[in-house]
Amino acid sequence: MSTQGRVTINKLPTGVPGLDEIVGGGLPEFSFNIIAGAPGSGKTTLAHQFVFANATPERPALYFTVLGESAIKMLRYQQQYKFFDPAKLPDAIRFINLSQVVLEKDLGAVLEEITKEVEKANPAVVVVDSFRTMVRIPQSDMDLQSFIQRLALFLASWQATTFLIGEYAEDELRDNPIFTVADGLFWLRQTAERNSIVRKLQIVKLRGQASVPGLHTFRISDAGMQAFSRTFGLVGHVKEPPSHRRLSFGIPELDSMLGGGVREGDSVLVAGSSGTGKSVLATQFIAEGIRQGEPGIVAVFEERPQAYAERASSLGLDLETPQKDGKLEILYLRPLDLSVDETMHSILDAVQKIGAKRLVIDSLAGFEMALSPGFRADFRESLYRMIFALTGIGVTILSTVEVDESFTEFPFSTYSISFLTDDIIRLRYVSIDGQLRKIMVVIKMRGGNHAKDIREYEITSKGVVILGKRLTDYQGLISGIPVHSGRSDQKEEPSDHPKIRA
Amino acid sequence: MTIPLETRELARRLLICESDACKSSEPEVSPTLRVYEKLRQSLGTFAGIAGFRSLASRALALGKLEDLGLSEFRVTEDGRLLGLGEIELQNDFDQGTGGDPAAEAGIILIARLLGLLHIFLGEALTASLLRVTWPGVALDECNSEKGRNA
Repeated sequence: MSTQGRVTINKLPTGVPGLDEIVGGGLPEFSFNIIAGAPGSGKTTLAHQFVFANATPERPALYFTVLGESAIKMLRYQQQYKFFDPAKLPDAIRFINLSQVVLEKDLGAVLEEITKEVEKANPAVVVVDSFRTMVRIPQSDMDLQSFIQRLALFLASWQATTFLIGEYAEDELRDNPIFTVADGLFWLRQTAERNSIVRKLQIVKLRGQASVPGLHTFRISDAGMQAFSRTFGLVGHVKEPPSHRRLSFGIPELDSMLGGGVREGDSVLVAGSSGTGKSVLATQFIAEGIRQGEPGIVAVFEERPQAYAERASSLGLDLETPQKDGKLEILYLRPLDLSVDETMHSILDAVQKIGAKRLVIDSLAGFEMALSPGFRADFRESLYRMIFALTGIGVTILSTVEVDESFTEFPFSTYSISFLTDDIIRLRYVSIDGQLRKIMVVIKMRGGNHAKDIREYEITSKGVVILGKRLTDYQGLISGIPVHSGRSDQKEEPSDHPKIRA
Repeated sequence: MTIPLETRELARRLLICESDACKSSEPEVSPTLRVYEKLRQSLGTFAGIAGFRSLASRALALGKLEDLGLSEFRVTEDGRLLGLGEIELQNDFDQGTGGDPAAEAGIILIARLLGLLHIFLGEALTASLLRVTWPGVALDECNSEKGRNA
């Protein structure tokens, strides 16, 4: 069947930031939806945001309250949210209490009452909060499924988009005939993970359009509900074509080791133990980008932005001015119960705000620690999605990761994430001639050839400085305890400027 | 707990409005009862009869502490007010405190009810609700931002 002549389903804004993308662009008009979840999971708030986003005096929203939370108390609390506009009441949003009908009559009478009000008001949106309480009506002449079927049929005919709100536990999802009636089923979860609360949303079903599958994190703040799509708001974004441009670190020797610099759009991992200069290298990378007119973002988890900028200043790198000029943003992300998706949205917002081309995540260990325990189990998977999404829009990412120094192994990271990265630069200590020195090696570059050299470097007041040529007179450098091989092509250096002796 | 002056003034304005209506249409129903009934209808729709009845009972209890003239009144199961219409038909709400005792009792009762709405819903939302029932009455004082946190 050709698309010509097919019905077009309008998509209504959900009023919940991030949710439109999850549901595939908006909620289908005239759909009959159920919002299910445990008490306190945010069902009413979600419905309110939809109502406030869509109701008008011409096509109002009817909000039927049944048993449960009193309308006065509900409005008292809900108006604390920023989306709540009292001016919309009662012309555009009308609250109607059905408690008396529910208590004194049966479901047939409830349906009759709703029908009467709908015919009178011609609403665009109808909410019944909570329809589950009606199950308790004694001696009802109609079972709940029949009630919902008739209600769904009536409201669809009257061109109303509908939400039924109900308290349901997880195990009630299966084999529940009521859910078969619904066009959309929104399941809200709130679980305690050690000391943290994790809120997640799932679109269990949504007829007529493709929603983003899986569990999506959401947060409820004074702004109301905000959902964080697993696709990070990048659905529909065209992936940037592979770039052949190379980005400089501002360290010519390192750029040379990388075959001319990091390929634009790559994900670079800088791995090393504490004190090897990972953050210094990351700072030089971002500072060089700014020097070349490429705005950058630094996401820090282990120190405050001010401290980060001051440390850069001690290396002669000015991060204050570009921050004032809108060329650099240093994000400090340490709220409680942080999810990867929220972090991603903060980073993406910053990337889009300043048009960032370079991103530093310093460090992955700090990032993981900032997450709610419940999200740490998904860290690798989330990291994969994050890197894929950001590099897909042309951002070059440099992540630092601390590795435990071992003199028997040469690990790249403790997260087994090296496969997620395009390029790996490994920093490590070596014991040479009674000194603990530092060496650097490019382990991998997915986009091309790179030097195989192992180079010694120092951290000076100018940042990372690579010394001399490659180390040729030692065997087993990457073990950290090299053996002098006696083969050398280097000249002896003065003793106050430590170099590998010939 | 005294009634804020602006709430009292709002109650007085609503009563004057209904007093004028009484003169032209239903003189047998007191202005206080007319205001109360309109509130019962509009609030009962969105808060439920039980919700309105609990608010009205509280307002009456508070009012009785201030005005013994309210001591004979009671709120029925369906939220109606008994005991007022029989003693008050027309009052002079234009007078200040200490004027017509029946008018004063009406002002106190309605002001207490409005005061509870301000406490629970805030002034802005209360004003929005009242504006539908009394579109001609000036409610500007109720639109202040502080009403959200009242």
